Amino acid sequence: MANSKKPGGLREMLESMYSVIALLFILVACVELCDAAAAFDVYRLIQYDMSGSPFGSRFAALNHHAASLHFPPGVDLSRTVLIIPLRELNITFVREYINQKKPLGGLLVLLPEVLSFKTGGNNQVHEKEKMKNLLAELERLLIHSNIPYPVYFAFENDEIDTALADIKKNDLMGQPATATTGGYKFVIPTAEPKKVASPTMTNIQGWLSGLKTDGDANQLPTIAIVASYDTFGAAPALSVGSDSNGSGIVALLEISRLFSLLYSNPKTRGRYNLLFGLTSGGPYNYNGTQKWLRSFDQRLRESIDYAICLNSIGSWDNELWIHVSKPPENAYIKQIFEGLSNVAEELDLKVGLKHKKINISNPRVAWEHEQFSRLRVTAATLSELSVTPELLESTGGLFDTRQYVNETAIVRGVKLVAESLARHIYGHQGKNIQIFADESSLAVNPAYIRSWLDVLSQTPRVAPFLSKDDPFVMALKKELAGHVDEVNVQHETLEGIFTFYDSTSARLNIYQVASVTFDLLLLLVLGSYLIVLFSFLVITTRGLDDLISLFRRPPSRKLKTA
Amino acid sequence: MTMFHFFNCAILAFGPHAVYYSATPLSEYDTLGTSVKAALVYLGTALVKLVCLATFLQVSENDGFDPYQELLKALIGFIDVAGLYFALTQLTHRNISQNHKFQAVGLGWAFADSVLHRLAPLWVGARGLEFTWDYILQGLEANANLVLSISLAALGSLIWLRKNKPKTLIPIIYACAGIVATMPSITSYLRRGLGWHFPKVVGFELFTSLVMAFISWQLFSACQRPYV
Repeated sequence: MANSKKPGGLREMLESMYSVIALLFILVACVELCDAAAAFDVYRLIQYDMSGSPFGSRFAALNHHAASLHFPPGVDLSRTVLIIPLRELNITFVREYINQKKPLGGLLVLLPEVLSFKTGGNNQVHEKEKMKNLLAELERLLIHSNIPYPVYFAFENDEIDTALADIKKNDLMGQPATATTGGYKFVIPTAEPKKVASPTMTNIQGWLSGLKTDGDANQLPTIAIVASYDTFGAAPALSVGSDSNGSGIVALLEISRLFSLLYSNPKTRGRYNLLFGLTSGGPYNYNGTQKWLRSFDQRLRESIDYAICLNSIGSWDNELWIHVSKPPENAYIKQIFEGLSNVAEELDLKVGLKHKKINISNPRVAWEHEQFSRLRVTAATLSELSVTPELLESTGGLFDTRQYVNETAIVRGVKLVAESLARHIYGHQGKNIQIFADESSLAVNPAYIRSWLDVLSQTPRVAPFLSKDDPFVMALKKELAGHVDEVNVQHETLEGIFTFYDSTSARLNIYQVASVTFDLLLLLVLGSYLIVLFSFLVITTRGLDDLISLFRRPPSRKLKTA
Repeated sequence: MTMFHFFNCAILAFGPHAVYYSATPLSEYDTLGTSVKAALVYLGTALVKLVCLATFLQVSENDGFDPYQELLKALIGFIDVAGLYFALTQLTHRNISQNHKFQAVGLGWAFADSVLHRLAPLWVGARGLEFTWDYILQGLEANANLVLSISLAALGSLIWLRKNKPKTLIPIIYACAGIVATMPSITSYLRRGLGWHFPKVVGFELFTSLVMAFISWQLFSACQRPYV
């Protein structure tokens, strides 16, 4: 009995060993460590369709060799990634490449590190204007082209600088990287970009009630202050829009804070309701504002005295513009303009009036106040921009970073709007009374503005990529709720002519690869080494005759037996 | 291409062992059993060394050269020598001459060392896209190790298996054996204490292995000559 158990037990042990060995083989075959020389974040060019026409970069995955701008002329680049640092960027070169549809494996634009909101910090930008113009032009070119290869943006760092220097050296020697000559390989392993299904726009509104006395039968008049908070840019993961429209959001929050202080005490509460609106869908013809206004009760809409829209008030020196769509002779427009100019004079700055007629049949809405005017509500936009922006322009692009915004400008803008609003509400027009004087308890708080501006300058806010319960939108809602009586959030779908695709950022791996010819040569060398070793050992241990006899055929058996 | 590179590095690291076996008379006398047994002894020795290192050694944060730790490592390295002694003397070998015995034991020892230390890094690393010279250098190191192991086995067999040795040569034999046995400590001192780069260290290993092989060959043939 003991004997029969033994072989059975042995067999079981062997079987378990086999399974362990099999598992080991599978495990070993699956081990694929990432051993890149360098890996860092890259941000993709936006991909969108407008009325069915494709724009932007249509691909995301990348697996090609890298070349710099010094590539030998006439070489085929359809399987190469071109790396261009911003300071060497020549717009005409890029425009020529894109417009003539020259084949390219991919494009990587290196932005100076100072523009990064993660590591750039608050360092000063050299040659601000030049960089701003270059970036604006590049962005305009890329957004309105259909590019059939991946385009990525990255910030310069030490690793990619050394890699680029190496690549340049190789290119100058006339050896562009291919599979047979080695070099650097750039790999971005990411899936195909998919459409963003039903992108949401979230409008946040805050309501501050005015003082209703018993004698008031009708509803109190309302004044609306609106700013759109979302952005659009060439690289959606980098579109922080500090000026367009981070400055507007910050100003709106500060104004709401000041008026909440005033309205908290019934003795100082004004006889106007205040409606604060943080709207989405700004770059897309203010679609969100339109939907928000359409959702209003008829009575509420009629009770709005006027609306002030804030758009880009962060980098101006001495002049602001008020854009209106009703003619300047209109009594209400005159009232608004006079109120603002009086305060402006005291604050030692200028405001100008710009009138642009609305064309009802044209779907293009360039300013937020136009959406109000289309519903017959008096409105004006306060902005530093004097020229009407084109579609998808001035919406928070690559150059719109923290360094280009001046918080003192925002402070002055807040003072201007708040004072003129207060004078209208409390009936102090024309009188020289400073309600929000400096050093008072109602002074504009620069620290509040600065901290919110810093937060906004680190949050990319492209609407299709903000989910319904995005933490930033919730934070805005919470902040506004702290200053007003009632907050409402409205979710709408971003329909219309725009369709967006996801995959806005990825991880780039740089590998330094050896060519196939190198490995073939290595095989040759090793083969000859082993052969030499073999012959050496045979000669030293068995003698030269043995070596020769290995190559001679053994004497035929037939001959022997014969 | 990268499996190709792995294949290249593998034949550099493991090829010479196979070539050595087939080229020398070892294959004629079928000494494979001896080599396999020596490999198993190496495995056991490596496990014992691992346990000792884990028990006695402290892990240092910086990569510097700590004399006390290195001394401890050298002492534990002598377990290697004990294992080799065991393989040479205690294992029952078939009737093979002493000449071939030490070669077979050294070969098995070096092959096991190469496989245990280099197969996993090669498999995991050489298959990736990124190219470094490290794996080729590791293969060269495996070659140097082969030569060193065979010399150590030769000197070991001289010390323990050959009873009548010329008196003058005995101290030289022991000195050479000592040097070869402490080679790991010497290389780690070079790498950490003097900060040599990997290619330099490998070059040094190759050079010393050839020198030691030559010296032990001379000693071996000197002991074999019938002397008056």
